[in-house]
Amino acid sequence: MMYTQKIAILAKKELKDAFSSPLIYILAGLFSLMMGWLFFNYLLQSKEMTTTTMTQGVIIPIFGNINFIFIFLCPLITMRSFAEEKRQHTLDLLLRSELTEMQIILGKFISNILMVFFMLSLTLLFPVILAFSGYSDWGVVGSSYLGIGLSVMAYTSVGLFCSSLTDNQIVASLLTFCILLGSMLLVISVNATNNYIFALMIQYMTIPFHYEGFTKGLLRSYSFVYFISFLAFFFLLTLKSLQSRKW
Amino acid sequence: MELAIEIENLCKVYPGRMALDNVSFSVKKGSIHGFLGPNGAGKSTTMKILSGLIPETSGKFIVNGKVGFLPEHPPVYPNMTVKDYLNFVFSIYAYTGSSNHIVEVMKKTGLTDVQNRLIGNLSKGYQQRVGIAQAIVHSPEIIILDEPTVGLDPVAIADIRALINELKNDHTILFSSHQLHDVELLCSEITLINQGKIVVSGAIDTILSDLKTNMSVKARVMNFSEEAKKKLQSTFAVETVTFEQDRENKNTILRIATKGKNDIRPELARFLSDSSIGLLEFYEERSDLEDLFKRIHE
Repeated sequence: MMYTQKIAILAKKELKDAFSSPLIYILAGLFSLMMGWLFFNYLLQSKEMTTTTMTQGVIIPIFGNINFIFIFLCPLITMRSFAEEKRQHTLDLLLRSELTEMQIILGKFISNILMVFFMLSLTLLFPVILAFSGYSDWGVVGSSYLGIGLSVMAYTSVGLFCSSLTDNQIVASLLTFCILLGSMLLVISVNATNNYIFALMIQYMTIPFHYEGFTKGLLRSYSFVYFISFLAFFFLLTLKSLQSRKW
Repeated sequence: MELAIEIENLCKVYPGRMALDNVSFSVKKGSIHGFLGPNGAGKSTTMKILSGLIPETSGKFIVNGKVGFLPEHPPVYPNMTVKDYLNFVFSIYAYTGSSNHIVEVMKKTGLTDVQNRLIGNLSKGYQQRVGIAQAIVHSPEIIILDEPTVGLDPVAIADIRALINELKNDHTILFSSHQLHDVELLCSEITLINQGKIVVSGAIDTILSDLKTNMSVKARVMNFSEEAKKKLQSTFAVETVTFEQDRENKNTILRIATKGKNDIRPELARFLSDSSIGLLEFYEERSDLEDLFKRIHE
C-alpha cells in the first residue's frame, strides 16, 4: 500500500469521528456568527467612509479578524488529536500498527486542517456578496485566502504538537493558545528595542508579519519559506514527542 | 518443541526502580501460557516489551511471528461502531486480505449481533471482546492478552474464557490474569513473577505436584475418638490429625494432612469406612494456585 494511502485511512477515520461529534458544528456556528456580524459592520462602515476602497474598508480588516479568531479556534479543534488518543489508550494501537509516526502525524494534520478549511469555507459567502456590489479586486481576496490557509496550517501544527505533550485536552488547547498568542505579542514587544536588525529578525519570526503581506496582496517568497519551515519544525517536535514514549 | 516466545535475561529499569530483573522464560508454540503475579510485579511491562511498545533496558527476546496485543485497557474508540473499528484496525495493521475476514473475526468473537452499535454503548464484557477481536484481526500467530478478564462479571468471564480456549487452535496465547481459576482451567504452562523476578515457570501440572508434598484430606464421619486418632496415626504416615464436632449435623469433621508424596487416600478411606467410625464424606482439599499466590506474598 502506498505511503499516502495509509495517511488517508487515518485522516478519513479522524474526519468521520470529528464530523459525527457536535464540537465542530458548535465551533463552525460560533465562527460564522461572529464573522457575519463583523462583515456586516465593516460593510456599513465602508458605506460612510467614501474615501477608502472596499479592499481597505472590508477585505483587509475582515481577514485580520479571521486570523485572530482562529488563534482561539484552532487550539479547540486540534486539542483532541493526541490527547484524546492517549486518554483512550488508543495511541498505542496506532503506534504499534503499520503506520509510521510521521504518517500518524500527517494523517492527523490533514484531518485537522480539513476541519479548519471547512469552517473557513463558510466565509466564502463574503466575496460572493461583495461581487454583487461590483467588487472586482479578486487578486487580494485570493492571496488573503492563501495567507489564511498557510496561517491556520501553522496554528494546526502547533496544536498537534501541544496535544502530543499531554493527555489533557484543556491543557493542550491552553498551551497552543499561549504559544500562538505569544507569537502574536512578539510583534508588539519588538517596539521595546532600538536595535533595528534585531527587531527585523524578531518580526520575521512571527506569523502575523507574514500573514499581513498576503492580505495586502503581496506574495513574498520568504513568507512561503517561513511557513514551510514553521510546519516542518513543529512536525519534527511532534515526531520527537511521540518517539519520547519509547525513550 | 518449537518456541513462540523466548525471553532471556530481560531487564527493564524505570528511573529509580527495577521493573524487570533478569526475566527469562519461554512460551511453546500452540500453547496457552498463563502469566501470573501480584499487581506491580512486572506482567504488563513484560507484555509491553514483547509487543514492541516500550524498549527493554537489557537482555533479549525473540518473538516468532506477528503479535496481536490486548493491553490492560482495550484500545477502542467509543464513538465508532464495532464494524468500522475492526475495519479500521484491519486496514492499518494488515492492509491485505478481504473484508470477509472481518465478518469471520466478528463471528469468532461473538460480535456479529452488535456490529453496528457504538463501542462506547456496549457493556464491559463486549468491549473486552472488541479488544480481543482487535488483537486477532490481522491473524497474528501469537496473541498477548493483558488481564482479559479483569473487572468482568462471572458470566462474561466464562465467555471470555471460552473464547480464549477457542483461539488456541490457531494461535499461541500468552495471557496474564488475577483469576487463578482461569489460569488453572485454560493454561498448560504458567510463569509466576513477583517484584520483577521469575518465581517459577513450567508446566502447570509439575508446578502443582511440586506444591503437593503434603496432601490434605477432609472427611466427615459419624464418630471419631482420641482412640481412633491414635490408631490412625500409628497405621499411616500422617503429619497431623484434627477433628471437631459438627453440632448442627451431629457428626464429626476430620482433617488429615499426609506426609510425603504417596497417595494413601484409598487406604485412608478403607480405614475410615470401618463401622465404628462410619465414613460420610471424603475429599481432597486441593492446594492450588491460590496457595501459590499467597506464598509469594509471604
